[in-house]
Amino acid sequence: MILERLGKELLYFDGGTGTLLQSKGLKPGELPETWNLLHTEEMVDIHRQYFEAGSDIVLTNTFGANALKFHNTEFELEDIVTAAVVNVKEGAYLGVHDNREVYTGLDIGPTGKLLKPMGDLSFEDAYEAFRQVVMCGEAAGADLIHIETMSDTYEMKAAVLAAKENTNLPVFATMIFDEKGKLLTGGDVPSVVALLEGLRVDALGINCGLGPEQMLPILDEIMKYATIPVIVKPNAGLPKQRDGEVYYDVVPEKFADVMQEIVRHGASAVGGCCGTTPDHIRAMIHKTKGMRDLESQNRPVPSEVTIVSSYGRAVILGEKPVIIGERINPTGKKKFRQALKDHDIDYILREGIEQQDNGAHILDVNVGLPDIDEPTLMKEVVTELQSVTSLPLQIDTVDAEALEAAMRIYNGKPMVNSVNGKQESMDTVFPLVKKYGGVVVGLTLDEDGIPETAEGRARVAGKIIKEAEKYGISRKDIVIDVLAMTISSDPKGAKTTLEALWLVREQYGVCTVLGVSNISFGLPYRPAVNSHFYTMALQAGLSAGIINPMSEDMMRSYYSFCALMNYDENCEQYIARYGNQTSMQTVSKNTEITLRMAIEKGLKEEAHHAASALLGIKEPLEIINEQMIPALDEVGKGFEKGTVFLPQLLMSADAAKIAFAVLKDEMEKKGGTSQKKEKVILATVKGDIHDIGKNIVKVLLENYGFDVIDLGKDVAPELIVETAVKEQVQLVGLSALMTTTVVSMEDTIKLLREKKPDCKVMVGGAVLNQEYADMIGADFYGKDAMQSVYYAQQLLEKR
Amino acid sequence: MDTLTREAVRYLGYGNHAVDEQTMALVRTSIEELRDIARDRIIYRIFELETDGNESVKIGKLDIKSKNLAKNVRGCSQAVLLGATLGIETDQLIRKYTVTNMPRAVVLQACAAAYLEEVLDQWQDGLKAEMLEEGWYLRPRFSPGYGDFDIRHQKELLQMLDGAKKIGLTVTDGMMLSPTKSVTAVIGVSKENVPCHRSGCEMCGKTDCIYRRNSR
Repeated sequence: MILERLGKELLYFDGGTGTLLQSKGLKPGELPETWNLLHTEEMVDIHRQYFEAGSDIVLTNTFGANALKFHNTEFELEDIVTAAVVNVKEGAYLGVHDNREVYTGLDIGPTGKLLKPMGDLSFEDAYEAFRQVVMCGEAAGADLIHIETMSDTYEMKAAVLAAKENTNLPVFATMIFDEKGKLLTGGDVPSVVALLEGLRVDALGINCGLGPEQMLPILDEIMKYATIPVIVKPNAGLPKQRDGEVYYDVVPEKFADVMQEIVRHGASAVGGCCGTTPDHIRAMIHKTKGMRDLESQNRPVPSEVTIVSSYGRAVILGEKPVIIGERINPTGKKKFRQALKDHDIDYILREGIEQQDNGAHILDVNVGLPDIDEPTLMKEVVTELQSVTSLPLQIDTVDAEALEAAMRIYNGKPMVNSVNGKQESMDTVFPLVKKYGGVVVGLTLDEDGIPETAEGRARVAGKIIKEAEKYGISRKDIVIDVLAMTISSDPKGAKTTLEALWLVREQYGVCTVLGVSNISFGLPYRPAVNSHFYTMALQAGLSAGIINPMSEDMMRSYYSFCALMNYDENCEQYIARYGNQTSMQTVSKNTEITLRMAIEKGLKEEAHHAASALLGIKEPLEIINEQMIPALDEVGKGFEKGTVFLPQLLMSADAAKIAFAVLKDEMEKKGGTSQKKEKVILATVKGDIHDIGKNIVKVLLENYGFDVIDLGKDVAPELIVETAVKEQVQLVGLSALMTTTVVSMEDTIKLLREKKPDCKVMVGGAVLNQEYADMIGADFYGKDAMQSVYYAQQLLEKR
Repeated sequence: MDTLTREAVRYLGYGNHAVDEQTMALVRTSIEELRDIARDRIIYRIFELETDGNESVKIGKLDIKSKNLAKNVRGCSQAVLLGATLGIETDQLIRKYTVTNMPRAVVLQACAAAYLEEVLDQWQDGLKAEMLEEGWYLRPRFSPGYGDFDIRHQKELLQMLDGAKKIGLTVTDGMMLSPTKSVTAVIGVSKENVPCHRSGCEMCGKTDCIYRRNSR
């Protein structure tokens, strides 16, 4: 079994196949995978050469063999994969002369598509494509699954899950980094290591993209975080071009020299990628065979680091204190609750972005409300948040189904909030953490409640850590929350918490987390108590506080603490934040400006100020009719005439939006209900991922009082029609950028005519014109955003 | 006003009009932001090219029917295939501002388009000098989706370049490039120096376009 050898003795992979195939006659543009069936002898011969050179693991010629990339009507994918496995085994039969144990690695490469939300491939479809290949590979007799050359952690996650859920084979996973140690999709080394170890692959590493020399520093970085065996498979140098052909020029001897260095720096399995040949592998093996017994060597010792990650960054706990933003949570927040009920995802996203801009490192995400479909909503919010922020997320829910749904589609290694000492809780949460990976918050309470003493809480922490070990979850993936009890009901609450923080760290060496604000519940002027308690907790060793980053008191504590305790080099962060404090306070607001002018000029703060001031003397409706509508009309007309331009139009819209919000608050305070709004559906059609035009129309329609149901981009006709029927919508706005996607627009219109004939359709987008719009049967063509507003007004008889 | 700013402003539809101070400030901030976050990457390969100069163009093994492209590469015997992207970071930033600050999103996306063109212009200047040393001249770059150069060729061009693996540039089923701030293009290469008076925007037949570059 390979797993018994992995990490204990140095294992050798094969090298590149592309160059060898070309020398045997593979033409540019020809699918290499077809050679498994068309040129079996040549394929077997290539594998044989690698086995003869000494490779332990030879990979199948299936790099592009997935349904999304392999388009060939002549051959079935299954036949290709099966033949590929058989060919390697045949190569082993011919090429291994010394009775050593060798392995067939089923090679899995990327789909060549970018996953949603940035691209158009869904996580589920990617999973499905990989599932088909891995099942086939296992059936054909592969010994392990080797996923490689991935540049997207999300696609990697889909592939690993497909391999682990559908086969019993060991899974190796390697990614392609650039010279700066970054993935094309932005991830860095710790984020990749966190994700892959979280998914419990058997080995991880780096391949392709770089030569051995450029990989050395990246390997060193990997070794800082990885606790499982590491694979390194470089190209024969950096790619060069001659006469339009790509080639690599690091010769076998040179390659072998650096590979020896790579083994010394900690690699447990080595091989080659593009441009490497059996000669490279032979030279490498010759040079390193004395290092075969890894355990006898003085190699880097793995360190246990607590890492939470997203696709683009890793946050390390246990060093500098970390801020977990608490604001995405409906508890005690009327507006947030309303946003959840209205499915106002943008509101939630803004809460996230604001916290990021204000210094949060991780965002807690809680969308639990009675009568809400939490699994669906949690999944959606997590996905959407990951499209606007690269901060790692802390999935906060008591609903096991919602937890699993979110952990599955999360791009990275999340924080999980939470598990506690109750057996039932641990039985539910730990299997999920084991499967998907995560850093889990352990609350120190159990069947007997919350222990009153610090020792009691530490005991529960110990219980949680011990139970986690049964699942193979190490303590680096557990952070303990010793719970802050409000001091107005428990006078010793704060002292106990601080003692417990220290104790837990001392006894178990784990990181800690704390919901800080609870301490002051029931007291007046809570920020004072909270921020002081926060500083005390940090001093007691708190790794991560769950706090409100929008509270200046808390942030002051944080930045001061970091400056005082040498976590902030040269007090740079402190100075960046507070350096211009005095000048910030003296910025004078122009209070002379009227609301109408503020909107026309697109001045947000002034609009807010002017609207608030006007409320003292006028009714909200008067303000709307006398100042706001004339201002919006003026700007709209200017836009039509070509004296006002798009950015200005949108700045005015933003200013008006802020003034509306002020007035709406006032109306709600007086118990009035805002009048019922007309609904309009907006969508960018299926296949189209450019949505900026649609979003511009949305902003303006909302400004003019319409209730916009925004279905997003790449939207299937069925969903648009279904929503129009369900919500009884009279107007649908569709956007398409290119000729290739206008087809979907036409399909959507046809389906609408059939299922909801009373609904009107307006269309817009770069390639459209009146003629085109008529041709596909639209009711209205909006040449710019204002035209759609006028049409909607006219149609729905607003004002 | 530098070229980058001027082009960004043109994409925002200002035409000949003066730009207001607020928008100008946004343009400046956006360009700074792009210089900070964009990870622009370019990949290219040179292929043999055959053309009848009329309608048919063959690049490597790829057959293309396009009068506009054929005219553009008339007399060329090689072609540079090119893929370039600003990376997904730019898309993500535009998306972030779409939620928090729509004017900024709109300005940023215009600046990103202009920024990518500038990156390509600079790169092409370098390549031009390099090729000239061996006596080769470059034509203006020409992208699928312009004129009658079918956008569906986008996919084949990317396959020939191995764009997904090399620079993370992919194409959707609807033939859109993803990341969105990306370009594929063909640059004709010939031994003769044909002066090109018209390139890019000016070559397009849509003369009433509000984004059209001014001839002045």
